[in-house]
Amino acid sequence: MLVAQGLSKKFGDLTVLKAVSVEFRPGEVHALMGENGAGKSTLMKLLAGLYQPDAGTITWRGHPVHWRSPLEALAQGIAMIHQELMPIPDLTVAENILLGREPTNAWGWLDQKLLQAEAVAWLKVLDCHLDPQTRMRDLTVAQTQVVEIAKALGRRADVILMDEPTAALSDHECTALFKAIRQLCQRGVAVVYTTHKMDEVFQLADRITVLRDGEWVTTQPASNFTPASLISHMVGRDLATVFPALTPASQEVVLEVQALTREPYFRKVSFQLHRGEVLGLAGLMGAGRTELVSALYGLLPATSGTITLKGQPVVLRNPADALAHGVGMVTEDRKGLGIIPALSVQQNLTLTALHRFTQAGVILGTQEKQVSQAEMTRFKIKARGLTQPIRELSGGNQQKVLLARMLLDAPEIVILDEPTRGIDIGAKSEIYALIGQLTAAGKAVLLVSSELPEVLALSHRILVLRQGDLALEIPASDATPEKVLSNAMPL
Amino acid sequence: MKFNREFFHRFGIIFVLGILITALSVSTESFGTLSNLTNVARQVSINGILAVGVTFVLLTAGVDLSLGSVVALSGVVCATFAHPGQYPVLVPILLGIATGGLCGCFNGLLVTRGGVAPFIVTLGMMTVARGLALIFSDGRPVANMSPGLTNLAGDVAGVPIAVLCFALVALAASVFLKNFRLGRHIYAVGGNENAARVAGISVTRVKLFAYTLCGLLTGLAGVVLAARITTGQPNAGMAYELDAIAAVVIGGTSLAGGVGTILGTILGVLLIGVINNGLDLLMVSSYYQAVIKGLIIVGAVWLDRRQARS
Amino acid sequence: MRPVPRFQVRPYLWTATLVLAALGLGGCKKSEPRQAGEIFIGYSSRDMSAEYTAKLSEAIVAQGKARNVRLVLVDAQADAQKQISQTENFISQKVDVIILNPCEFEASSPAVERAKAAKIPVVNVNSVTKATPDAYVGSNDEEAGVMAMEAIAQKLNGKGNVLMIHGIMGQSAQLQRDAGAHRVLAKYPQLKLLDQQTAGWDRAKAMALTENWLQAHRGNFQAIFAQNDEMAMGALLALERAGAKKEVFVIGVDAIAQALTAVKEGRLDATVFQDAVGQGHGAVDLAIKIAKKEPFEKDVLIPFQVVTRQNVDQFLAK
Repeated sequence: MLVAQGLSKKFGDLTVLKAVSVEFRPGEVHALMGENGAGKSTLMKLLAGLYQPDAGTITWRGHPVHWRSPLEALAQGIAMIHQELMPIPDLTVAENILLGREPTNAWGWLDQKLLQAEAVAWLKVLDCHLDPQTRMRDLTVAQTQVVEIAKALGRRADVILMDEPTAALSDHECTALFKAIRQLCQRGVAVVYTTHKMDEVFQLADRITVLRDGEWVTTQPASNFTPASLISHMVGRDLATVFPALTPASQEVVLEVQALTREPYFRKVSFQLHRGEVLGLAGLMGAGRTELVSALYGLLPATSGTITLKGQPVVLRNPADALAHGVGMVTEDRKGLGIIPALSVQQNLTLTALHRFTQAGVILGTQEKQVSQAEMTRFKIKARGLTQPIRELSGGNQQKVLLARMLLDAPEIVILDEPTRGIDIGAKSEIYALIGQLTAAGKAVLLVSSELPEVLALSHRILVLRQGDLALEIPASDATPEKVLSNAMPL
Repeated sequence: MKFNREFFHRFGIIFVLGILITALSVSTESFGTLSNLTNVARQVSINGILAVGVTFVLLTAGVDLSLGSVVALSGVVCATFAHPGQYPVLVPILLGIATGGLCGCFNGLLVTRGGVAPFIVTLGMMTVARGLALIFSDGRPVANMSPGLTNLAGDVAGVPIAVLCFALVALAASVFLKNFRLGRHIYAVGGNENAARVAGISVTRVKLFAYTLCGLLTGLAGVVLAARITTGQPNAGMAYELDAIAAVVIGGTSLAGGVGTILGTILGVLLIGVINNGLDLLMVSSYYQAVIKGLIIVGAVWLDRRQARS
Repeated sequence: MRPVPRFQVRPYLWTATLVLAALGLGGCKKSEPRQAGEIFIGYSSRDMSAEYTAKLSEAIVAQGKARNVRLVLVDAQADAQKQISQTENFISQKVDVIILNPCEFEASSPAVERAKAAKIPVVNVNSVTKATPDAYVGSNDEEAGVMAMEAIAQKLNGKGNVLMIHGIMGQSAQLQRDAGAHRVLAKYPQLKLLDQQTAGWDRAKAMALTENWLQAHRGNFQAIFAQNDEMAMGALLALERAGAKKEVFVIGVDAIAQALTAVKEGRLDATVFQDAVGQGHGAVDLAIKIAKKEPFEKDVLIPFQVVTRQNVDQFLAK
């Protein structure tokens, strides 16, 4: 019922979509697959009315349409859930879910009871038990995403476009989401969906369309693909194993944590980190992993316990302290805690390590430019140039800039919180290779990730957190998905 | 090259300035004369120095409403120590500047350590500084300034000293913001304070610097004003903060922080100054002046933002 | 990524039109270009929002028209810095004479000095500056203070407590009226100044001040001298509201229309008439004489007159 024909879109000189034609049917889950920059987001935004096509037509229920704004599309029944979440931070969960359709009585008086009730109902569909009175700014990224999905579900759209909805969800929330999607399909809603998680696509999708470099490659029922064939369509070549070989870690302890506590997030956590080692942190959403590593970076200092770096006990009150001791971090929230949107790629890249090319307070321009150029090439960051504002880059490229920024300051201990979230398979393998290089070079890596295959394949040892307690510590060789999950689930 | 691109970013304002200058030169006999243009430059200097100072604060997503009152207080302090035969002329000048710096530092401490919103902090300073000015001056203008100080309102080789001050301040500020690490940090803190903290920047130090620098420049403006009107007036500077902040915002600095340049501020200052001067030369009644000024400014900003988006 | 449209001419055309239209709107108030032999006078008024100053300025503009000279009025809005800028603009425009209604004794002096340096004659009207102008038309404010305080002394028979409300501190009118008042107070040892404060020529501030005084000193004072009528009206309102007017004699300065009506109605006891029209016409006449290089008087002092219920009608007629 929703047909795109020959859609093209240019941004300046860059053509992001070239004559793409796809058809979306009611009651079907249609996955759009492709690497970063393949044009999936752009296609969805064209369908949702955020952009206008330069060429081609969109036909909705048999009539050609020209949305001039997302509101027009929404009115016609096409809703979109974005990859970059946009809640209203100071309103409550319920108010966000029913934004624009708040129930009122005849005089315009807000019906609070109905508001709360409907919000709770939609959250329940997603198996979420958040208090609808919570303020959005107090939620974590993952919780915010669930609320956004509830919002779109509540709009009762006929077509729901989801741009990487599960990027921040743990496995158990994903299952709930899939259940909800299945229900939508039964009601006749068409769901258009992008993700980078391979296993999800096969669980969920009825048909898959692959885009590469802005062009349509193929559209077939999901059963026609295998993971390998799908990847090779997306990438245009055969990818060998994605994960690098693990070089053995040394015995030298670079970081020791004893009984680290910060209620209510985590308590009495103790572990050691060795040079050349990747220590994976697994657990469910809300287990306290982000808070734990934030304490090691000075963002959320622990209230008791000790942190010892290379034999010396340290107190980390802010990130500057951590950086001075050789600890670097890339946070999970690149929009809120990562990039400076108004600044350029170069300015973002060199931000932390600026003191390395500063003399008497003055920035050495040529040196900064050279180094930035080198890093851009090394990390294969796709941008128009060093001076492009970073907010115009795709999520994956922004993440690469943040990684480069952290590494430029030459930390010895590297903390990565969900480093491959929202990044395509090609870029992911680059990051995995990078992690391998880091450990080979003698750095120690703390890796927080919700993607089990990633954690299992990349780590030397794995820590599992359960609701703030350290539930399990085992070498990766002994770990299985079942063991990890069972230790992660609440008792 | 960089100057070139920045220029184009503000082409909307430059275009309107060009039209104004052309139209005014044609329709009045006196606009295009050297003496008038010197006047305009002299008349915008005080607002210009204030505008450069508050640019730093606005860049960090803050605001400073106390500018006018601190100008008055600095002027009063300067004039109090500027009586003939008392101290060498450098003393009242430095004391005036230091007074501004202290007020700015105080503002900065309350914003960073105290965690109070800049609007409230500087609103408070606005009334406190005004009160202090009245106390130190006993409610009346502090007169009897040495010629050494009043000479500051004069010229050097045909160029008003106030204009030289403005030009030097603007140049130094521009170079600083572009090429110094602390300047880069100011943009980062204004652009995304949390991200800047995560990247290892001391947000407290950066903000404190911005407010103190703004205060120092406000003190300088106060000294220049006192020299111009030959008194330290406790009632001087009324609503000066509005003109200064307006100039900065017209020039493209965002009130949300993180975006803006000194070139933009200069253009904003010039636009307001040319409009004021031109309307006076055209002998437009004061009441119409306000309306016309508003129309031109809105038009210039609309064009400028439109053009900057592309 | 953001879309990058081609360069569009239309927004520039619209803005250009807007700007030119705005200027034109302002410029159409301007008369034709200057004719040869026409006398060009620039007049900077202290603050048009004050009633006396507005009356003075009206008189000046009217006289300018009557005598067929080109007179431009600008309002300094109580900002000495602005007044200096306006003077600089006059100098650029090469006016023949400048009439200055100074904001402030010291702070407006640079304006006078700049004009003199540019060899343009300056006539001060109504207030004085530290720098000496070419001529001065005004009234001796000290005389106003003397008259007002004398009227109080007469009414109280030389005995009692007086409150004085000052104008903006440091302005010549305030300084001189204060001096005059103190001269009289020195003559009557049993006439005491209970308190004095400034209300900055402002009615609302004077009202608040008087309310506070009533709290502190009620029953203990018999007269209020407000250095101008705006403040006298404010004090009057406060007294009337508190029902305390009967015991207090109130006198102001200026004889603005409201004050005259109040005197006629028996609410305000008296005021001192400052001849705004006389000052205004006098200033213009003097300026024209100077421009024509005729001999002129350097100081033209126009006398004050006390206005009470007995003689108020003749002033109402003016």
